[in-house]
Amino acid sequence: MRRLVLMVTLIILIGVFLFSKTLTVIGPWSGAEMDKFTPVLEKFEKEYGIDVEYRIYRAEDLANILPAQFAAKKTLGDVIFMWPWFVLNQAKKGHVIDVSDVIDESKYLPGVLDNVKMNGKLYGAAYTGKVKPGFWYRKSFFEKHGLSVPKTWNEFIILLEKIKGIPGIKAPIASGDGVGWPLSDVTEHFIITFGGPNIHRDLIAGNIKWQSFTVRNAFEKLTSLLKKGYFGEPTEWTLVLKQWWNGDYGLYFMGSWITGMVDDPNDLGVFSLPGNKGIVFGADYAFIPKYTKYPEEAKTLLKYLCGLEGQTEQVKQGGHVATVKNVPLIAYPPVDREVAKLLEGVEALFDLDDSIGGAFQTTFWDQLKLLWVRPERIDDVLRTFDEKMK
Amino acid sequence: MRKSGFSQFLIFMLPALILLSTFVIYPSIKTTLQSFVDENGKITFKNYKDVLTSRDTIDLSGFSRGFPLGTLLHNAIWIAIHLPLTVSLGLILAVLLRKVRGGNILKSIIFLGMVMPMIIGGVMVRFMFDGNLGVINAFLGLFGFESKTWTAYPETSLFSLIFGSVWLWTGFSLVLYSAGLETIPRDFYEAAAMDGAGPFKIFFKITIPLLKPITVVVVTMTLLWELKIFDIVYVATMGGPGGASNVLALQMYTYAFRELNTGKAAVVAVLLTTLTITASYPLIKGSSDAR
Repeated sequence: MRRLVLMVTLIILIGVFLFSKTLTVIGPWSGAEMDKFTPVLEKFEKEYGIDVEYRIYRAEDLANILPAQFAAKKTLGDVIFMWPWFVLNQAKKGHVIDVSDVIDESKYLPGVLDNVKMNGKLYGAAYTGKVKPGFWYRKSFFEKHGLSVPKTWNEFIILLEKIKGIPGIKAPIASGDGVGWPLSDVTEHFIITFGGPNIHRDLIAGNIKWQSFTVRNAFEKLTSLLKKGYFGEPTEWTLVLKQWWNGDYGLYFMGSWITGMVDDPNDLGVFSLPGNKGIVFGADYAFIPKYTKYPEEAKTLLKYLCGLEGQTEQVKQGGHVATVKNVPLIAYPPVDREVAKLLEGVEALFDLDDSIGGAFQTTFWDQLKLLWVRPERIDDVLRTFDEKMK
Repeated sequence: MRKSGFSQFLIFMLPALILLSTFVIYPSIKTTLQSFVDENGKITFKNYKDVLTSRDTIDLSGFSRGFPLGTLLHNAIWIAIHLPLTVSLGLILAVLLRKVRGGNILKSIIFLGMVMPMIIGGVMVRFMFDGNLGVINAFLGLFGFESKTWTAYPETSLFSLIFGSVWLWTGFSLVLYSAGLETIPRDFYEAAAMDGAGPFKIFFKITIPLLKPITVVVVTMTLLWELKIFDIVYVATMGGPGGASNVLALQMYTYAFRELNTGKAAVVAVLLTTLTITASYPLIKGSSDAR
């Protein structure tokens, strides 16, 4: 009898092991960012009874691994967060599941799903996004040194000059480096401010040349600051974040996720460049590879994550802005409401290099590193951008 | 008898032939064919034209403007500086440490750079030249030089990587030369000394000529390493800023995994293969001559 019970238990255990469905979600978030994503997945597990395993892969690494995996009709994950241009690129090759039946476009912010739409079908969905609103500062730092938020370009220059004069300051603005995107974010802000939101859109669409007068003009505003030494030397972005927080720099251009990376988010203040009429809204996109073993469960997870439930849970954690409509404002932490206020009256725009993608993206990041240390080579940099847009 | 000999030859060769065919010959042929296929699947020379005329590969205007000069020339610069440095340093250290007490311990320490994964080496090179944390800046600071991130500037990024990686590879030539020195009979040195030859004359007239076979191996292997250099550049600068430290292998990677253009990546692969085969010719020739 005992043997029989033992056998049955063993068979059940093996059965559970063999037939249990565990979905694998792949995303770029680690550390503090992952800690804020985990509750969203835990809620799904509790409500839907499907186990989920989260694995960290940077988008840069996924770009290496996934094409080979897909070519072999295999996949690392069931739901994968990735650049939208990459999703469409793989969708064209037939590696991505059409999710139009589970994602209702009308429930999302207008245009936010355009990046993952092809021939009227959706090949991915937008998760929450982060805005790149402008220059962050410590309120306590500004109070201590009698600084105020600038309302005009001239006031901005005066502010930079004042910060430069503070003893112990390395430079007025910290320059984040490493992978390359921090420099591209601040550059896009200058393009939008001095070229306008339409120029930003035209650049993404390839309707305007980088060497055109308007774009060059926006870049000249940026290089004028670089030449005067207002920007610090490009330094790994998390390292320079600490240095900025410790008072080595006065300002730091970063996305809204910064609120989750500092010791005291209530000490944070942010302002856009005076005259700015558009803010980059960078959404995270997820897709389901064709080679998932559990397509229906993966669709359920995608619908949850990118739907009202998942996004509400995520924005509660801070540092995120919903792309789906009807997320209650009360769900946002106070500091994120301040970020949301900056969005009022300005246009939300796609991230430029994330939208164009491909070889342009890495070239954009790399050339900006050059521009940061050699601003006089602006023409060479813009020419390279035009070459890579072809 | 002859027939059975041939059968035996086939049996012994078969496993190696299967492995070589699967993992070397087939991929090589496939890559070469791929280099002639454009994005639309047509057979063309367009990939070759695009890659060889691209400023990414050769950018002669860099001579008047400043870096980048293109991946091909960057690899050439890497070879021109790194090769003589590592080979001569390895030889000099091998000779100097030969009779020094504790020389073997020192050799082991130098060899650590060689056994370290190159990715880690790249991270270390990056930190070595960092403006905030770098040991190079700490040293230069003693002489009053201002601290800066050497890898962040187009004029210095490639040279930082080249000089920073010398210690990673010197261990290789040091170990080979040390082994080579042991094969030179002591009689030669004693006879030369009795004839009145000084240490320099002995070094140039006996040591160097007798180490020629080792030198061929060291030079060839170092040359191959420099041609396919990737990991250090990828980790330390990602080829930047503005492509100022980009190299052929990284260019191939960018084409394949960023541009998702396998045709152009295959062209760089063919170019690299051609260069490495050419570079390894002396070694192959040397080994067949010896036979």
